[in-house]
Amino acid sequence: MPQSIAGKALREAIEGKEIALLGRIRRGDRGAFSELYRLYHPRLFGYLRRLLPNPATVEEVLDDVLLVVWKDARKFRGEAAVSSWIFGIAYRKALTAMRAERRYQAPLDHDADASAIAGVSSQHDDWIRAALMRLSADHRQVVELTYFSGFSYQEIAQIAGCPVNTVKTRMFHARRRLKVLLPVLAGQVKEQTSERA
Amino acid sequence: MNARESVSHEQAIELLPWLVNNSLDEREKEAVLEHAQACVICRRELTNLQQLQNSISDTSSTSPLPEPDLRNINARIDALIDRQNWGRELWSRLREALDSSWRIAFAAQTVALIVLAAVLFWPEPRSEEYTTLTQVQNLPDGQYLRVVFSPDLQQSQLTNLLDKHKLTIVGGPSIRGVYTLGVTNTSAYDDILLSGLQDDPDVLFAQPVIVGADR
Repeated sequence: MPQSIAGKALREAIEGKEIALLGRIRRGDRGAFSELYRLYHPRLFGYLRRLLPNPATVEEVLDDVLLVVWKDARKFRGEAAVSSWIFGIAYRKALTAMRAERRYQAPLDHDADASAIAGVSSQHDDWIRAALMRLSADHRQVVELTYFSGFSYQEIAQIAGCPVNTVKTRMFHARRRLKVLLPVLAGQVKEQTSERA
Repeated sequence: MNARESVSHEQAIELLPWLVNNSLDEREKEAVLEHAQACVICRRELTNLQQLQNSISDTSSTSPLPEPDLRNINARIDALIDRQNWGRELWSRLREALDSSWRIAFAAQTVALIVLAAVLFWPEPRSEEYTTLTQVQNLPDGQYLRVVFSPDLQQSQLTNLLDKHKLTIVGGPSIRGVYTLGVTNTSAYDDILLSGLQDDPDVLFAQPVIVGADR
């Protein structure tokens, strides 16, 4: 999130608007809920799509998250930003969904050659997604929240409900793993693309 | 961390991802950049992370997103509201139905509690002090007997019997018909007197009270 003066003012304005929406939702205002849903749909959809291996569950989990927002709007105490609160709900729902999906899937072998994934990934975003899928759920979350969603490490600590040092440590390990995975995956994709040409 | 405070290499390299996503506050940003200018490893890492961030930003901006469809969640909220309303209605009907019964039950419980408290805490009536027939009592020095006469004994017969044995009534009769008799002729107080009384068919019980022995 940009920290310049203009950026800070913009964030404060957005935060004020979102707090007002939550206040109306607390009183059962369906119009306010629709507005908040439309505001958060793109961010939550992108976040969940990158985290969940099964795209079919993304919309379902997204609705689960926003249903909790509807039900628990009165529990929002303003201790964190509205976005951190909503992403905190999404974080927990995503973890549950990831664990549930892992139960029904063959486990990924983290030490195996990445070519298996590159073989089915022909697009630029596919190999980034494929690399993310090879990280543990906690590491995947911290990478996603930093690079894709643009949260600060303090906000990520609030979202994940853990100390900031844990966030930094998770990111450190995730970066080490990505350094190995991404060049391999990118190399495989480039070879496949040139072969097709 | 303040603007002039430098960060260690470990701190700086940990914070690089958030320098790249532009979420560090100004003080942290300056400190990390200052360190990166002097550190080859951090500069190289920063370039790599910048490339990763750019790749991610490209993919994020090009990936199509579906239009928000609120039909499903609206249906779920409707169902939720229905359930809440149904619960509220059920509760209010239950309260109405039980309103009078609750009051009766409450009153009955209160009465039961009061009765229970009265039974538990009411002071017990003092029971009559238990005494045996030969128990020593506060009597002046002398010789005494405890005697129980036959219930059929007439007043005149009793007087004759007392005169005969030179006895006077000192106390009694008690609730159980026990008389305490004083021996007026102390020289006559011996086993013969006691035996005579015990043999009399109008005397059911006769025992001496030895005053002072057990005090």
